[in-house]
Amino acid sequence: MSGNNVNRRDFLKILGWGGVGVAVAGCDRPTTVTLEEGKEEVVAYLQPEEYVIPGVGVWFASTCQQCPAGCGVHGRVREGRVLKMEGNPDSPINYGKLCQMGQAGLQGHYNPDRLKKPLLRKGGALTEVSWEEAMAQLDQKVGIASGLNGERFAWFTGTVSGHQSVLLSAHLASMGSKNHFVHEVINDAVVRAVNQDMLGEAAPRYLLDQAKVVLSFGADFVGAGASPVYFANSYAKFRTATPRGVLIQVEPKMTLTGGSADLWVAIRPGTEGVLALGIANYLTTNGVDASGLPESLRALISGYGPDKVSKITGVSADRVARIAALLKDRSPSLVLAGASAEGHAHGYQSVAAITLLNILLGNVGKTIVPSGASQFPQMEAKPGNTRDLLAFANAAEQKALDVVFFHGANPVYTAPAALGLAEKIKNIPFKVAFSCFPDETAMSADLVLPILSAHEDWGTHMGVYQPEQKSISIQQPLMEPIYPDSKGFGDLLLVMLKARKVTGFDGFEDYYAYLKSAFAALPASVKGDAVSDEDFWGKTLQKGIVKVATVGGSLSTKAIEINLPEFKEDSSRPYHLVPSARLGMWDGRHANLPWLQEAPDQISKVVWTSWVEVHPQTAAKLGVKEGDFIKVASEHGAVEAQVYIYKGVHPDVIAVPMGQGHEEYGRYAKGRGVNPLKVLAPATDAKTGELALYATRVTATHAGRRELLVKLMGNETQLGRKMVATVKAEVFNRTEGGKDVA
Amino acid sequence: MSLNNILTNWSRYRKGAEEGGFHEYEHQWGMVVDLNKCIGCNACSVACYAENNLPVVGEARYAKSQFMSWMRIERYWDEPDLEPYQASPTANVDVWIETNPPAGKTALKPSMPGSYAEGLLEPGGQGFEERVGVFGTKGEMQDFGASFLPMMCQQCHAATCEPVCPVAATYHTPDGLNAQVYNRCIGSRYCSNNCPYRLRYFNFWSYYEDAWPEPLHMQLNPDLAVRDKGVMEKCTFCVQRIRVAKDEAKMENRKVRDGEFATACVQTCPTGALVFGDLQDPESRVSKLWRFHQVEQGKTKQNKQNKELRGYRILEGLNTDPSVMYLERVREV
Ligand code: SF4
Ligand code: SF4
Ligand code: SF4
Repeated sequence: MSGNNVNRRDFLKILGWGGVGVAVAGCDRPTTVTLEEGKEEVVAYLQPEEYVIPGVGVWFASTCQQCPAGCGVHGRVREGRVLKMEGNPDSPINYGKLCQMGQAGLQGHYNPDRLKKPLLRKGGALTEVSWEEAMAQLDQKVGIASGLNGERFAWFTGTVSGHQSVLLSAHLASMGSKNHFVHEVINDAVVRAVNQDMLGEAAPRYLLDQAKVVLSFGADFVGAGASPVYFANSYAKFRTATPRGVLIQVEPKMTLTGGSADLWVAIRPGTEGVLALGIANYLTTNGVDASGLPESLRALISGYGPDKVSKITGVSADRVARIAALLKDRSPSLVLAGASAEGHAHGYQSVAAITLLNILLGNVGKTIVPSGASQFPQMEAKPGNTRDLLAFANAAEQKALDVVFFHGANPVYTAPAALGLAEKIKNIPFKVAFSCFPDETAMSADLVLPILSAHEDWGTHMGVYQPEQKSISIQQPLMEPIYPDSKGFGDLLLVMLKARKVTGFDGFEDYYAYLKSAFAALPASVKGDAVSDEDFWGKTLQKGIVKVATVGGSLSTKAIEINLPEFKEDSSRPYHLVPSARLGMWDGRHANLPWLQEAPDQISKVVWTSWVEVHPQTAAKLGVKEGDFIKVASEHGAVEAQVYIYKGVHPDVIAVPMGQGHEEYGRYAKGRGVNPLKVLAPATDAKTGELALYATRVTATHAGRRELLVKLMGNETQLGRKMVATVKAEVFNRTEGGKDVA
Repeated sequence: MSLNNILTNWSRYRKGAEEGGFHEYEHQWGMVVDLNKCIGCNACSVACYAENNLPVVGEARYAKSQFMSWMRIERYWDEPDLEPYQASPTANVDVWIETNPPAGKTALKPSMPGSYAEGLLEPGGQGFEERVGVFGTKGEMQDFGASFLPMMCQQCHAATCEPVCPVAATYHTPDGLNAQVYNRCIGSRYCSNNCPYRLRYFNFWSYYEDAWPEPLHMQLNPDLAVRDKGVMEKCTFCVQRIRVAKDEAKMENRKVRDGEFATACVQTCPTGALVFGDLQDPESRVSKLWRFHQVEQGKTKQNKQNKELRGYRILEGLNTDPSVMYLERVREV
C-alpha cells in the first residue's frame, strides 16, 4: 500500500470489507498495512516439520469447491499428501458432514487429466507454452498497451464469492467493463425473482425443521439444491420432530428428495402452478382466510376447482384435497418450488402461485424468515443463472466481445445446441480459460492457464445459502502443488490487477499476502479474543471459519398477479423432456471423477453412463424393455440412451439425467453417455429470461439396439423379505415422539 | 485371535450365541442405521471408497458385478409392510416366490416358463407385465419415495462366512469384528457364497493396475493395504481407525471414549442416519439405541416388550447375529 493515497474506505473495499457501515464503524485498524506484514513468507502450514511427521496424519481446514454451497472441510494430510476429506464441524453450513461430491473433491485434485502447462492456440491447435509466453500474450491482449477498455471485455464464471469475487470485480472495473456473466445450470434464479417480488428478499431462510408438512414442487433440497448438506441436516431434524414432519413431493420425475417422500405425486410438467392454485382453491373453500388477497387473485383461485385442476395436472381431485387438508391441519408448513416448476416459459407464474400458498397458509415469518445481508456484502456469493448464458451467446453472436475470461463454468458443454454457442464464440477473438481441466470450454479457448486445484490454492468463500449464522470459509492449501507450472487463481487476478496499474494492490506480493492483510483489517468485533493480527490469522486458518454478523433483513408479503397460460399438448412431440439434475454428476462438472461415475444414481442405480427414465405404460407403448436404447428427439437434436423403467416418472415424461455426454474433459468423462442439455429448445421464462429447462417437447422411439443396463440392483423389489421394514408415522410418534434416545 | 486359537476353539466359532458360541470380546463394535433419516444420498459409500482404497472397476467390470463398494445403498420400490403382499415367512426368496403368487396367478417355480416369477428375476424379461405389477406401489404410479438401504458387512457374531473358509482367512476378532486376512486368503470364495447379505467383494482382477492412474494413486490411504487379484475383501468397520483410537486410548491409559472416532461412512453421513460405537459400553449411543429398541444380540428372533419399536436386524432369523441394527423407515400413510 506504500506510497499510495488510498483512503480507508477504498482500502476496506479492495480488501473486501467495504460497502456497509458496520464494517467501517467497527474498525479500529490503521488505514494501511505495512509492507513487512505483507511480505510474511513462511506460514505455519508450509513448514515441513509441521505436516510431514512420518506416519502421522494432520488435519487442516479449508473449503469445499465442488458446488456453490461452500461447506467447510478438514483435509487429512500425511507425508505431504492430502488423503481424505471430512466436514469441518465448526461450519454452520455443514457441521462436520460432506456429501458425496465433497468426498470426491480429492479426485479432482489428483485427477490424471489435469492441465499441467499453459496452452496457446497456434495455427489452430492448442500448444504448450511457457508462462512467460502465456503472460506476454495476455498482456498484449488485455494489458494497458492493448487499449482494450470497456464492455468488449468480459468475465464468464460460475458462482463466485469471497476475495476472489472482490479481485475479479476490481479487475473487471479496471477493464472498464461491467460484463460479468455468472452461469449455473443448477440454480434457483426464478425462485429468487419471485421471492424478491412477493416476500421482499430474494433468498430468505427456510426453516425446514420447523415445518410440520413440506410440500415441494420439485425442489431437490437434499440433492441438487442450493446447500445439499445443510438441508440434509434440516431434513433429519424435520423427520425426528414431534410430530414427525410429512414430506409431499410433486414433480415429473423422482428426484433424490422425492425418493424420501411420504407422498410422491407425479405431475404433468408445467402444470405445477395450476396444482398450487387448486390447493389454494381447496383451502379457501375450506375455511382458510383469503381476505387479505386482492380480489383478482381470489377470483383466479376460485376458477381452479378440483375437476379442472385434476384434468390439467393429472393429479386426482382426491389427492389434491388430501394434500391441501394436510397443509391446513398441520401448521406451520413450508411450500417450496424447484427446478421442475421453474423451468417453463411461465415458470415465474408457477412459482408465484406456489409462493402464494405460503402466504395463504401463514408460513411467512414461521418457516420462511428473513435472511438479511452479510456484514460484508462484497463477500457474498454471486449466484449463477442461465439468463447470463443466453446474454453471453447473444453478445458473442453480435460480435460485441473481444476478450473473455472463463473460470468455474463450462458453457460450451452446458449450452443447448440450439444456442449455437460453439460457433458463436468463434466471434470472440481472444478467449482465456483459467482451468484445472481440459473441459469443452478450455479446449475451445485461445489461451488456457492451468490453475491450482481447490486443494492447493488460497481463497475465501461464502456459501450461496447462508443459514442463521453467516460465515466466511477459508480455503487454504492442503498440499503443495502437484504441478509446479500451475498458478493460483487469486495470484493471477492480483498479477492482472497490477498489470492494469490498479491503485492499492501493488503492495501485495501475492494473494496470500493480500488475504492476510485483509484479515488483519477486519473489525475487532469479528476477531473475537485474538490478541494480535498474527494470532487472529493463525486462529482463522486453524478454524477455517470466520463468523460474521447479519445486517437488516425483513420480509413483507405481497400477493402479485398471476397469469397461467392454457396448457397445450403437442401431438407431434408427445413427451416432455426432463433434463434431471442429481447430486453427484451435478451439471456435468463431476463427470471426470471416477468415484462419482461409479457411485450409482440414487434413483435408477445406473453407473457410468446415461439412461432414459420412462414409466411402464410408456415403455409398453414404445415396446421397450430395460436396456433397450431409445432415441429422444426434439426440434433441436436427438440423444440415444438405454431405458430404465419405473413408476417414479410421469407417463408423459422422458427423463434424461444431466452430467454425461462430454466431448472433452479427460478419460473418465469423454465420450460417455449423452448430454440432454444439447437438445433443449432455447425457450425462456417470460418474466426472468431464464432458460426454460423443462419445456422441451420430444418424440421417443425404439432405436433398435439393446445392451445390459449397468446398474447396482438386480432386484427392484424386496420380494417380501424384511430388508427395509416400514412403520407408520403414527406408531413412530407414539414410541419415539419427543424422546432423545441417544 | 491366533490361528491356533481358532483351531482349538473351532466348533465354538461356528456357533451363534444361542448355542454358546465364542463371545469373550474386548469391544463389540456395532452400528445403527436409522432409515427414517437416510436419504439414500451415497455420501457414506463414496467416503468408504476414499478411506479404504476401494478401486473403481469401470463400466465393463461393473456390468459383471465385479464392483467393490463395501458400503452400497440398495434401493427398493416396494414396501412389503405397507403393501398387501405377504411378508416372506422365511428368508428363502425362491420358496416365497413359489408359494406366494399374485392373485390370479399360479404358483410355479421361478425357472419354469410361464411363471410370473420368471419376469421378476430377469429385469425386462418375460413376464414383464407381472413384474410391473409387482414392483413399487400397487397403483399406476409410485405413491411414495424409494426404500433406501445402506448395506455394509453386518459384522455377524455367528458369521455364516467364517466357518466355511478352508484356511481361516475370515475369522472373528476380539473386537467382535468379522475380519479378513488378505495374506491368508486363497480366493476360494466360499465365504462370499455363504454371506446371505452379499457383502463380500472379490478381487477378480489386479485392480490397482488401472484404478489409480498417476497421480490418483497419491490419494491412497497408507494405513491399509491395496488388495491384489484373488483376494476377498469387505467392510472392516474401518479397522484402521479403530486401531488408532485404541492405541491412543491405551497410551493415555483410558478407555476408548464413545464418539471420539467414527468409521468413514458414519463420519460423513449428512443426516446422521448412521451411528457407530461399542456395544459393550453400556453408555455408548449405539448401546442406548439398541436398548431403547429392545433389540438384543444372540437371538434369532427378538422378543420385544413393545412390538412397535423400530429396531430390527436384517435376516437375523438365519442366526447370523449381526452387529448392525436398522431402524424401520417411517411413512405417513
Ligand atoms: S454440498 Fe457442495 S460444498 Fe458441500 S460437500 Fe457437497 S459439494 Fe461440497
Ligand atoms: S450418507 Fe447417510 S443419508 Fe446418505 S445414503 Fe449414507 S446413510 Fe443414507
Ligand atoms: S455380513 Fe456377510 S460378510 Fe459380513 S460377517 Fe455377516 S456373513 Fe460375513
